[in-house]
Amino acid sequence: MAELTAFRYHPGASILHRVDPRFKLGCLIIASMGALNGDAAALGLWSIASAALFAEMRMPLMTVARELRYFALLILLVVLARTLTAAGEPLIRFWGVALTRQGLIEGALAGWRLGLVVMLGLLFMAATRTWQVKSAVESLLKPVPFIPHKRIAAMMGLLLRFIPLILSTARDTADAQRARGIENRRNPVFRLIKLAVPLLRKTFLDADRLATAMDARCYTESRSTQPLFARGGDWAFLGAVCGLSFLALSLPCF
Amino acid sequence: MAILEVDGLSHRFSDGAVGIEDIQLTVREGGFTVLAGPNGSGKSTFLRHLNGLLTPTSGDVRVQGVSVREDPRRARQLVGMVFQDADSQIVGETVYDDVAFGPENLMLDRQEIHQRVMGALVALGMSDMAGQRTHLLSGGEKRRLAIAGILAMGSEVIVLDEPFSNLDYPGVRQVLAAILDLHARGRTILLTTHDLEKAIAHADRLLLMEKGRIVADGPPDAVLSKTEPLGVRRPCAVRWGRPVESWLS
Repeated sequence: MAELTAFRYHPGASILHRVDPRFKLGCLIIASMGALNGDAAALGLWSIASAALFAEMRMPLMTVARELRYFALLILLVVLARTLTAAGEPLIRFWGVALTRQGLIEGALAGWRLGLVVMLGLLFMAATRTWQVKSAVESLLKPVPFIPHKRIAAMMGLLLRFIPLILSTARDTADAQRARGIENRRNPVFRLIKLAVPLLRKTFLDADRLATAMDARCYTESRSTQPLFARGGDWAFLGAVCGLSFLALSLPCF
Repeated sequence: MAILEVDGLSHRFSDGAVGIEDIQLTVREGGFTVLAGPNGSGKSTFLRHLNGLLTPTSGDVRVQGVSVREDPRRARQLVGMVFQDADSQIVGETVYDDVAFGPENLMLDRQEIHQRVMGALVALGMSDMAGQRTHLLSGGEKRRLAIAGILAMGSEVIVLDEPFSNLDYPGVRQVLAAILDLHARGRTILLTTHDLEKAIAHADRLLLMEKGRIVADGPPDAVLSKTEPLGVRRPCAVRWGRPVESWLS
């Protein structure tokens, strides 16, 4: 089975690989909040920082870009929606729709924000193994009362583990349906339903088999976990991200 | 000495259908038993009772003298199970993580977990694949990984449900070699198949199931003549009156 998703762990020894996953998760939240609320200057700052981390990790950027083409389509739709619905000074009118200057700026900013959040998520996943994500979630949720932190962490870990399998099943199902001429049906809803029903059925069956297999291997919520240790470098990384955050907030708006 | 004792085991599903009916069986320690039968004969249902994944309607299973009903956790540790669909039983992102899953559930300390994982990977010839991502493994490697996962739990009985299904010739040979190696190290092997060709040369006992019951039990040479009326094809060599050869020879 080939590589199936860009959102997976890429082995390496970069700065990001070495940071404690709890700190990485905290930094991802801070940076995403900064990206979602920032203007062009702040987005530029976060983008430069992300690009530097990508370069340092030596990620195969062309491969990642190719695998993210569907996200690009989604971002394009968001940009179009924002561009065509924002009020302001019209630049062009066609079929009763006005393209405004403000709309163009808002659309570009919305696309940039969304793209940046996707890239930040990608950085996090590329530098963090599934068990580390699981341990980080478990550790961060532990102090929150009435939250079954171990169960939530186990569910997250399994979800991350099974995304490639679900995508593989979706691809097989789509291929099997193409082989039987589904492309001759023009109705996209019909095609979506025909894809979703067998895919969901197979996914639920697999989930049931997985639960049985986990039971067979004595699965319990109180199991040994990998210990996490925070070091000076982790605090320094968090400090750098907080510093960037303050810098982004203090930059003049454009 | 008996490691598994099955006494009057019956299972009915919630819709009333019979899964297995009044199974009486003893498996000796260190044996290599093949359980054959057509689809729907109750093989997989029977196996799921050996470590308490299913609760019987009546009867009991004892592992080393202790009832599975009384201590299912102990039974699951001692009776390791390899399922037919390897993909849906692998939970780890990497080979190492997946083999560690069982020992982590046993609440062992990290050093002990590491020793067990590496021991199991060495035993299955996978020590150089520890960091490899599991979804990129071949079918035979996934099946060997599943065996390593239960070996790391310290299982004495290895139960394999259709271990050769969907494997190519090299994959079958890899898995068969791994099973024989475990058997040589003293593990008790119980495997189900409807393709006797691949494993029967190594078995010392053949059980045939039909409609939830064990209808034939004995040394392979004595039972092989009864297989075809029950929907299980005899190995080619037996049809030609020759001794059955190993797939590894």
